[in-house]
Amino acid sequence: MDKITFRRILKWGFINFFRNGVVSLATVLVMSLSIFVIGSVVVGSSFLSGVISSLEEKVDISAYFKPSAKEEQILALKKDLEQFPEVRSVKYVSAEEALEIFRARHEGDDVILQSLEVVGENPFSPSIEIKAKDPTKYGSISKFLESGRYDNILDMDDSGEKKITYRQNQFVIDKLSALLATSRRAGFAVSLVLAVISLMVAYSTVRLAIYNSRDEISVMQLVGASRPFIRGPFLVEGVIHGVIAAAFTLAVFYPVFWFAGAKTSALFGGFNVFEYFSENIFQIFFILLVSGVLLGVLSAYFAVRRHLKV
Amino acid sequence: MIYFDKVSKIYSPTSIALEDVSFAISPNEFVSIVGQSGAGKSTLLKLLLAEDRPTSGKVFFESSDVHAVPPGELPALRRRMGVVFQDYRLLPQKTAYENVSFALEAAGKGDDDIKQDAPQVLELVGLMDKAWHFPHELSGGEKQRVAIARAIVTRPDVVIADEPTGNLDPLNTWDIIRLLEKINDLGTTVILATHDKEIINSLERRVVTLEKGKVVRDEQRGRYVL
Repeated sequence: MDKITFRRILKWGFINFFRNGVVSLATVLVMSLSIFVIGSVVVGSSFLSGVISSLEEKVDISAYFKPSAKEEQILALKKDLEQFPEVRSVKYVSAEEALEIFRARHEGDDVILQSLEVVGENPFSPSIEIKAKDPTKYGSISKFLESGRYDNILDMDDSGEKKITYRQNQFVIDKLSALLATSRRAGFAVSLVLAVISLMVAYSTVRLAIYNSRDEISVMQLVGASRPFIRGPFLVEGVIHGVIAAAFTLAVFYPVFWFAGAKTSALFGGFNVFEYFSENIFQIFFILLVSGVLLGVLSAYFAVRRHLKV
Repeated sequence: MIYFDKVSKIYSPTSIALEDVSFAISPNEFVSIVGQSGAGKSTLLKLLLAEDRPTSGKVFFESSDVHAVPPGELPALRRRMGVVFQDYRLLPQKTAYENVSFALEAAGKGDDDIKQDAPQVLELVGLMDKAWHFPHELSGGEKQRVAIARAIVTRPDVVIADEPTGNLDPLNTWDIIRLLEKINDLGTTVILATHDKEIINSLERRVVTLEKGKVVRDEQRGRYVL
């Protein structure tokens, strides 16, 4: 396509957008609605996935060692664990560090600190904290620890059970990991359905708007206009629709997320969706813009193609 | 220049629009295609414009079979034929001037050529003062004159007019016919489909008469006989 044709296509795209007045406005509004849904799905699901990840982050298991266990032995075990593909991290907490953590946590609580004095020696055992990549893997990690290889260093309670917190927290961990997996799946399914619905709504609107122009399209063909020359202005209009709809949606998002953030941050354990939104506002606008422009252009392309057959 | 070779167009066994039609049109001719409504006039013109395909037979524009032209080359072929319709078919969102210049833009003409040719043609049809009006602001006769301006501005080899006066009053009708004669005098072939007896009889040019999809008469200096 030569420069002059391109310039004319741009010119007619802009002129048609303004001359189509109400139809352009309606198309922009419906498209805004579609991008609003797509944007909410994107922001919502990445926010939700952030919340889920941070919950997963909070899950770990600890194994406690006998006071007699040597540090080399514990570090050797730590090394063994780190070889596991399921293990994300292993942290060694010595008895002294455990005491420090305890003191820091109960700073200002004189009764508890005094009781430490009464005990005299350090009542804490060395331990390791293990985080898995996936909460469902804690069972197998725990089994590895209980396999017997480390009986000599792992602490046991009076009934002979090794002190591994997985046993005690198994129910909660399993429940939580099932819940998280389900939320991810449900979130994805809902997103997909909403996105498909909004795409169909936007496409139908553009198709109706272009259906209005079907006579014009056939006349242009009879006058001898080439297909790109007929199609071009509709694509330009599609870009304009997409850009305006993206800007409009972003403007609507701001107060919506501000309100939603204030109302729901307690529900998500202190996570505020508005903070997430304002931190990522450029990426979000980019996503809105790309989806708006793609939606506008592709809808126009396919809608015009139906009438370009004379 | 234009040749219909045994052309038939059959929509269904009970609806035969054209049957075995053959005739040729020479350059610079003024040919009227006459016949009652439903005789096949519009179908014939649609086939020439490659707007529709014949069931059998071929339509030639110069040496090319218009239905064998690849889609990408069809616009170039159509630019050699200017079309005028009974219902004007102007682009409603464009002014009279833009409707005319659109044909030039579609043909890839430069801006300078457009600035020169479009006003000239609008002047020729007597509408320069309404150049910036939209079609809905023009009368029927004015719309048809814009349509003619659009059809001739690209200097086509042939102007095809399908019942161009069908929606016009007598005064406007004669304006349009005189314009078509003028275009023909300037060297462009004109094909006029009409069922207006007075026009045919006063033109005294070649008349091809269609009846139920068949050519029943083809006379130089013909008259309207049905």
